Amino acid sequence: MIGIIFGVIIPYIAFAIFVVGVVYKFIYWAKSAVPLKIPTTSGQQKSLKFIKRTIYDRFDSPYTKWETAVRMILEIFAFRSLLKNTRYYLDRLSQRDARWLWLFAILFHYCLLLVLIRHTKFFLEPVPSFVEMISELEAFKGVFIPSVYVSGVTIIAALFLLWFRRIFLSRERCISLPSDHFALLLLLAIVISGNVMRYFIKVDISAVKGLLLSLMAFNIPQAVEFANSIEPMFYIHFALGSFLLAYFPFSKLMHAGGIFFSPTRNMPNNNRAERHVNPWNPPYKGITWQEYYEAYKDQLDEIAESGYKVKPEVL
Amino acid sequence: MEKHVAEKVRIEQRFPSWRELLKPTTEFKHGYYHYPFRISDAKYLELPFVREWNPLDKDWKLPPNWKEIFLTKMKEYLEKFRSFKLFMDICVRCGACADKCHYYIGTGDPKNMPVARAELIRSVYRRYFTPAGKLGKIAGARDLTEDVIKELYYYAYQCSLCRRCSVFCPYGIDTAEVTWIVRMLLKEIGVVHRFSLISIASSARTGNHLGLLPGGIAGALQSIAEDIYNLTGIEIEVPINKKGAEILFVAPSADYFATPHWYVCMGYLMLFHEIGLDYTWSTYASEGGNFGTFISYELAQKLNAKIYQEAERLGVKWILGGECGHMWRDKHQYLATMNEPPKTLEDPVSPITGTYFENAASTKMVHIAEFVADLIAHKKLKLDPRRNDKWIVTLHDACNYARAMGLLEEPRYVIKNVCRFFYEMPEHTIREKSYCCGSGGGLLTEEVMDLRMRGGMPRAMALREVHRKYGVNYLCTLCAIDKAAFPHLLEYWRLPVAVGGMMELVGNALIMKGEKERTTDLRGEPLIRRD
Ligand code: HEM
Ligand code: SF4
Ligand code: SF4
Repeated sequence: MIGIIFGVIIPYIAFAIFVVGVVYKFIYWAKSAVPLKIPTTSGQQKSLKFIKRTIYDRFDSPYTKWETAVRMILEIFAFRSLLKNTRYYLDRLSQRDARWLWLFAILFHYCLLLVLIRHTKFFLEPVPSFVEMISELEAFKGVFIPSVYVSGVTIIAALFLLWFRRIFLSRERCISLPSDHFALLLLLAIVISGNVMRYFIKVDISAVKGLLLSLMAFNIPQAVEFANSIEPMFYIHFALGSFLLAYFPFSKLMHAGGIFFSPTRNMPNNNRAERHVNPWNPPYKGITWQEYYEAYKDQLDEIAESGYKVKPEVL
Repeated sequence: MEKHVAEKVRIEQRFPSWRELLKPTTEFKHGYYHYPFRISDAKYLELPFVREWNPLDKDWKLPPNWKEIFLTKMKEYLEKFRSFKLFMDICVRCGACADKCHYYIGTGDPKNMPVARAELIRSVYRRYFTPAGKLGKIAGARDLTEDVIKELYYYAYQCSLCRRCSVFCPYGIDTAEVTWIVRMLLKEIGVVHRFSLISIASSARTGNHLGLLPGGIAGALQSIAEDIYNLTGIEIEVPINKKGAEILFVAPSADYFATPHWYVCMGYLMLFHEIGLDYTWSTYASEGGNFGTFISYELAQKLNAKIYQEAERLGVKWILGGECGHMWRDKHQYLATMNEPPKTLEDPVSPITGTYFENAASTKMVHIAEFVADLIAHKKLKLDPRRNDKWIVTLHDACNYARAMGLLEEPRYVIKNVCRFFYEMPEHTIREKSYCCGSGGGLLTEEVMDLRMRGGMPRAMALREVHRKYGVNYLCTLCAIDKAAFPHLLEYWRLPVAVGGMMELVGNALIMKGEKERTTDLRGEPLIRRD
């Protein structure tokens, strides 16, 4: 029974929610208009030839499509804005480096990426060679038995570090909503249960792979068969993972997709060179020159009489 | 701390729980809350629900169906602004932006953290526009009540739309954009502050924020020309409303009257005369600034449209703009979108150097710093930087042209050519990381003086550092609001530093044909040379 519910039904539902939810969110964002071109410029604009732009200016204040693309890539893969982080201390009236947030964030996200890549070996047949290679590289093959995946362990540390920020730093505690703690705890539960399964309470990996492959092939009877043969420990991990999938589109975790839409980052700073059109631009409502002229006729005529210019009164 | 600190300013930092943060603050402190609009301005601008009201009253006399209007409009703005929708959804509350806001630093009020400022409306968004919001508080959602409206008003007008937070956010979430939209929403139920509306109404009627009539503008320009005559012995003719001129020149209206803006205006006139520019001022488009951008899209458009209309009527080729901060956010990012550039305009080419301003090819509007830098690079100006020897200069990058335009090197290029002593403030307080003067975004008003002085603290401290280290005595800024705000701020923080614009320094250094020996600078103060 557990096998059917947590091995077959819930994963299907969760995956469906994930796909529909993410697509829905993308459409939901894309539907809204972008009335103004509002890049946040963090470097020198392109203007005159002799005004030098450094390489940093070119992607912090991008002028072309390509420069903008580089800016986005740096944001996505290097969290560049976070890398600028500083912290203000009142007593010292100065700023302090606060790039540890960047470090924790990078640690977590890259470990997550590695873990996800390694997970493909459970549902891809044959396993791509680069997945094998990454697994071997980060596992320090031969040092421990079974070999320990660095990313799988580090991600726990990174998540704890991120969570400790929210618990122990008063400012971060103050802005953390329950959902912020929840996201971290959910991820922690997933990675911890995964590690436990790997190192302590072992499950039948070949059955897991069989289950996933048959789920992907929509071969339900076979999936049920595999599902019933797997130990309960696996279902703790699998159910939590399913829940994460279903939770993802409706939570702040959607930042992963949202960053691509961010108008302050994905638009070039070429505002005055290329016109941006607002689809709902309203017509001008206000006085015209004619109305203005009629209101201040005397004074305007006086300026006209003096030949449209003023001169200093020289004694 | 040294003995010069006369007043003790206590900055108390409080860190309430997230639950408390969700509760609306309705106690308005003096020096922090804005007065309500004047009936006459609101009527003139045809705002909805014009009535007498007072933020300190319990009853704000909102329309009976205010909630429905607010939510309907919110839905509309979510569709109209992708930025708003996205920024409501993707914040992870990482806190990178939290201590980047000068108002937070200066007041310690947790709701002045950019992330918390955005949460004020995000909590309403969750409640009414997301499925989880039905769970209420635990999901960080809250009902829209009158108290929430009051709180939104209080904090939306404690943000100077400076965008500093946006530089540091890993997703570029721009709290200035969120604040702007909150102000638009509040406007729909008749909740707007006084200060900006006065200027917007004046500008809509007379063409400039100060409400100067054509004669007043002509008179002001004439007085400035007289000051130039007294200084240099040169009689300058100032063209106004001249049809067929090559260039329309637009500056913030403070340049006609206020100090130290006045000296900047002298600088423009001297420069244009010296290079023989074929240009004109306009009385109909006599305002470069645009306080409409502080309140709503429509009001912004109502004011900036006049520039293109006038450029077309006068038949100029292109437009040159003076020193101003928010004006350049408006001209760079909004003008050509809100109004189609007239077909009669031509490519902006400097008539003196022949330089084609490719980066302004569509909007047809060039910044004075770009224009002057180009003149200097082509050696078209005779300059004597020693005439600025009195000044040890530092540059404040105004928020708007730093973070919404990227105009960073042009002013530096000019300044380094017109004066000999230039020092930068600490790296984390300049360029795109520049700290706001504390009075931008519609906050340049007496009633929020406490907030302004506190919000300006980080900037003042950065200035104090170079003042002590290098003896900096001149804070140069290309922003009209800065020029009005800094004198108060620097007095408050006891910094004996003068405030002025780039064109004042240019005016001092500019050697004009046929000028008499100068004994004073533009301010009428004796010239000092250091050797
Ligand atoms: C395009 C891919 C992604 C990018 C560019 C990205 C970027 C970021 C950044 C810049 C932060 C803020 C720094 C921090 O608080 O750690 C963050 C936070 C976070 N990300 Fe991602 N992310 C991506 C994908 C994901 C995915 C797929 C997940 C998980 C399923 C995830 C989970 C999280 C969580 C839980 C946080 C909050 C950490 C905290 O609360 O302190 N991210 N992300
Ligand atoms: S930096 Fe951006 S994501 Fe982080 S709390 Fe601020 S607005 Fe939210
Ligand atoms: S835009 Fe400026 S004033 Fe407003 S919240 Fe951000 S940092 Fe603060």
